[in-house]
Amino acid sequence: MAALARVRGEKRAVRRAGEAGRRVEYLAFVLAGETYAVQIAHIVEILRPPPITEVPRAPRTVLGVISVRGRLVTVIDLRRRFRLPETPIDRKTRVLLSETGASEQVGLLVEEVQQVWRLASEEIEPANVLGGDQPAHIAGIGRPSDSEGTILILLDLRPILEQP
Amino acid sequence: MVEGGGRGDSGDKARDEFFSEAQELVDGLGRDLLALDEGLKKKQPDAELINDVFRGVHTLKGLSGLFGATRMAGLSHELEDVLDDLRLGRIELTPSVLDLLFQAVSLYARILSAESGEGEDPGPEVEQLLLALGQISQRRTGSGAGVVARYDLDPALMGVLTEYEEHRLRTNVQQGLGLYRIRVRFSLATIDSALDELKAKARPHGEIITYLPTGAGSDVDTIELEILMASRASVDLLRTAISGPNIVIDEVRQRSGASAPASLSPSVAPPPPPVGAASVALTPAPSATHETGSPQRDRGEEAHAPPSVLAPAQSFAATGVAAAPRPVAAPVAQEMSLRSVSQTVRVDIRKLDRLMTIVGELAIVKTAIANLTDRARAGVTGGRDLAIELGRLNRTFERHLAQMQSGILEVRMVPLGQAFDKLARVVRQISRELAKGVNLVVTGAETEIDKLIVEELSDPLMHMIRNAIDHGIEQRDERLRVGKPPVGTIALNAFQKGNQVVIEVEDDGRGMDHASLVAAAVRKGMLTADEARELSPREVLALVFMPGFTTKEVATDLSGRGVGLDVVKTNIAKLGGVVDIASDVGIGTKMTITLPITLAIINVLLVEIEDRLFAVPLASVEEAIALDERHVRIVEAREVLTVRGTSLPICRLGRLFGLPPGRRERPRAFVVIAQVGNRRLGFAVDELVGQQDIVIKALGKSLKSVRGFAGATELGDQRVALVLDVAALIEEVLAPGETRLLASALEADGELRRIGRA
Amino acid sequence: MRRILVVEDSVSARAFVRAVLESPDFAASVGAGEGECEVVEASSGFDAMRLLPRGPYDLIVTDINMTDINGLELIRFIRKSEHHRATPLIIISSLRGEQDVERGIALGANAYLAKPFTPDQLRDTCAKLLTALEGVARSSEPPIGGP
Repeated sequence: MAALARVRGEKRAVRRAGEAGRRVEYLAFVLAGETYAVQIAHIVEILRPPPITEVPRAPRTVLGVISVRGRLVTVIDLRRRFRLPETPIDRKTRVLLSETGASEQVGLLVEEVQQVWRLASEEIEPANVLGGDQPAHIAGIGRPSDSEGTILILLDLRPILEQP
Repeated sequence: MVEGGGRGDSGDKARDEFFSEAQELVDGLGRDLLALDEGLKKKQPDAELINDVFRGVHTLKGLSGLFGATRMAGLSHELEDVLDDLRLGRIELTPSVLDLLFQAVSLYARILSAESGEGEDPGPEVEQLLLALGQISQRRTGSGAGVVARYDLDPALMGVLTEYEEHRLRTNVQQGLGLYRIRVRFSLATIDSALDELKAKARPHGEIITYLPTGAGSDVDTIELEILMASRASVDLLRTAISGPNIVIDEVRQRSGASAPASLSPSVAPPPPPVGAASVALTPAPSATHETGSPQRDRGEEAHAPPSVLAPAQSFAATGVAAAPRPVAAPVAQEMSLRSVSQTVRVDIRKLDRLMTIVGELAIVKTAIANLTDRARAGVTGGRDLAIELGRLNRTFERHLAQMQSGILEVRMVPLGQAFDKLARVVRQISRELAKGVNLVVTGAETEIDKLIVEELSDPLMHMIRNAIDHGIEQRDERLRVGKPPVGTIALNAFQKGNQVVIEVEDDGRGMDHASLVAAAVRKGMLTADEARELSPREVLALVFMPGFTTKEVATDLSGRGVGLDVVKTNIAKLGGVVDIASDVGIGTKMTITLPITLAIINVLLVEIEDRLFAVPLASVEEAIALDERHVRIVEAREVLTVRGTSLPICRLGRLFGLPPGRRERPRAFVVIAQVGNRRLGFAVDELVGQQDIVIKALGKSLKSVRGFAGATELGDQRVALVLDVAALIEEVLAPGETRLLASALEADGELRRIGRA
Repeated sequence: MRRILVVEDSVSARAFVRAVLESPDFAASVGAGEGECEVVEASSGFDAMRLLPRGPYDLIVTDINMTDINGLELIRFIRKSEHHRATPLIIISSLRGEQDVERGIALGANAYLAKPFTPDQLRDTCAKLLTALEGVARSSEPPIGGP
């Protein structure tokens, strides 16, 4: 649960940062070689993947169900949603237990969790810099000013959790 | 901060108590009114019942005021007036008055639902009823005061009688009954049961007016009561009938010069008119029905009723309906729900005592484990001895845990009668609205089932009964023409069958004509004429459960509001049950609901299919046998296994779920034979793993469209197994016309297989 | 510690009265400390008679319309008893039968509160009676032992 404590701590930090310098904290993770990030406020807990039970007939993006302290949680594979190549579960794989407030808790399978980025609004470019129509779940592009060359694809979890 | 929270909790708790108590009171009112209805038909309306109804409404009024339920308070206020007049004999109880009281009960139920945030507030209907009730309570008569003065009663006694008790005293004296004073001493600890015993002895001989503690004697552990009773019996007879230690019975003498009380009964109302033919039948009285203000109907009532100075019913029928754009006796509204808002279960204290005993046993096991741990730590016990001891404790623990589980399940169990009581009310109301005589015969009301299921069952049952009365039971003339009794019968039977509860709704109506069912389905475009010819008789009957199905071109008020039997079927399926239907033209229709007894903890058979574990609820498993492939035949594109000479359709779950082949080679397979209702299906699986008690949990919202699973359960060591929804799977595999769904499911699975497991 | 006996056959009405009379607000209004007002519930007249000897009570609140022993009979019993003849007593009843209330007052009830009442009304009535009559009741009432 150290991971959880860390995330909670970060959340408090985010709130302070938000009040002071309008900075928002993002948790970065890897999917098929690309770095994505989601608002840390939407992450409840980071889990090592427990045994995942496949659900026949489930939507394609659903990997299966897991039990988190007695509660059933559906796990989504974002790579299936984004049509990315898949790799087997290994020791870096994590499940992000996420909640947006509008929906139930859902687990997101990611290949590796990297770090927390604190982004000011001028470090975030709108999604349309990628050109034309971007899907609703792309919130923008993060370019941390203190890390030349780092590009974060910022995700909005709400459309993903509401319609897996 | 903490104190503030505590106070809020007690307020919330009080409000919860309010809902639960109000619901119980409303249920009680319904029961009392049905009993009153019976009494009225036998011309013996029970004064005590009227007082019970009054007290119920009185309490509801007080409560709803306290908890700010203004709509309910308003209704109770007006109702209390009428009931007060009724119990004090100022107005007479007629079938029409009773109708209004029944309406009030169903409105209460809807107001309660609205108060707890479900359903709409029935405001306009309440207003209508208030108007009608107001009309009634204007019709009062005086009652003979002063007759009681002739009796030699202690003025102190008169000073503690409530108005109602005084009225009962007066009424009894007017009717010529004698008054008796029973002095009795009880121990305070046992007074409730002792008094019940005395009441039971006294009841056949008359009416107890009041119980007055005399306050005599210095002993604080006993209490002396003076009971005032009215009876036609002699003092000697009463002394024999109500004998016992510390019981003294005296006659209350009349003052000299008083005339015989029997002659002084000027205002005793004539008995109410009989209603209908059969004494137990719920025969419609032609009061305000949905044929609004039909003068013919009103004349009908006048013709039946004997002349009486007290005719509130007629005045209501005339003014109430005239003033209303809609009839006051509105049909049972479609949105009405019989679901109770109460989340509380009343528990027999003995059941809790048994649970406490088990907790005690578990505490002993805990102590033994603690001792053993100490001994192992100290090195006194080790190795083999330790294992033996632990094994023994484990077995004891398991036994007590099982007892605990079944004990808790028992606490969740309530008699089905809770739902049936409300249905009796619905039958009465619908039969009146449709002007069809219907007799409801209930058996097995004591059958117990999980409280949650009872709650969810009320509405489907109501719908089935409504359907039976509307479509099944013929009009009186038609019934007479075909030689049936003029009053139709609906039988509601419940019984337990293994781990399932069966509820039958059977009517002796016209039955379902296969040709018209098929014609209606074709007309609605549900299937083509060619497809229709392929249907088996059973499949034809099953058409009534298809969404949008109706045989009537013009929907009636009752059954035609867009809620069909398909909803009933869906709701029953949600409870893990199935509905079957059987019907004979001219003889009647029987719908059979088969349900699991409980929803919470279930015993399952764990099976393995392609290296994956699944749980099959044992409640629907008949047996499991080895699969002998040599006995499998293909009949009509379906695999059929011959088991002991009978054919059993089988379903290979691995194939149905589109599971990729597992890594292990299987030399043999098994068939789990499941039965739900009267459908049997064999599920072919790779391995039988064992039985286990599990707590079933619902799959998340994102998986709600997935069919075939009732939920999932954690097996320990964090593994999760899906629990098969046997009823739904049997339905899917055996039911006709669902091949499309099956195909799309297979398509989705094909995609899963292509991607493979992560 | 103030102890209040509530006689009422409706469980939710009892819960309501308890919530009001055990609130810190009420305790403050009668000059007691928090948690120093205790409600004892009786669900019937007989129940009340069983609980009376376990007094003393500083206040009795009773319904009228109950089965078996009605509230009037209970009031008469209470007023005849040695220890509670002067205990402040309030009738709570929604009966419009004024006759019942009149009889109750005649039998020695000190106040009448018509249901439905607001928490404030209940609080005020009880507080007034407790503070006004307390001295009288205490002085005429020898303490009896035991909880």
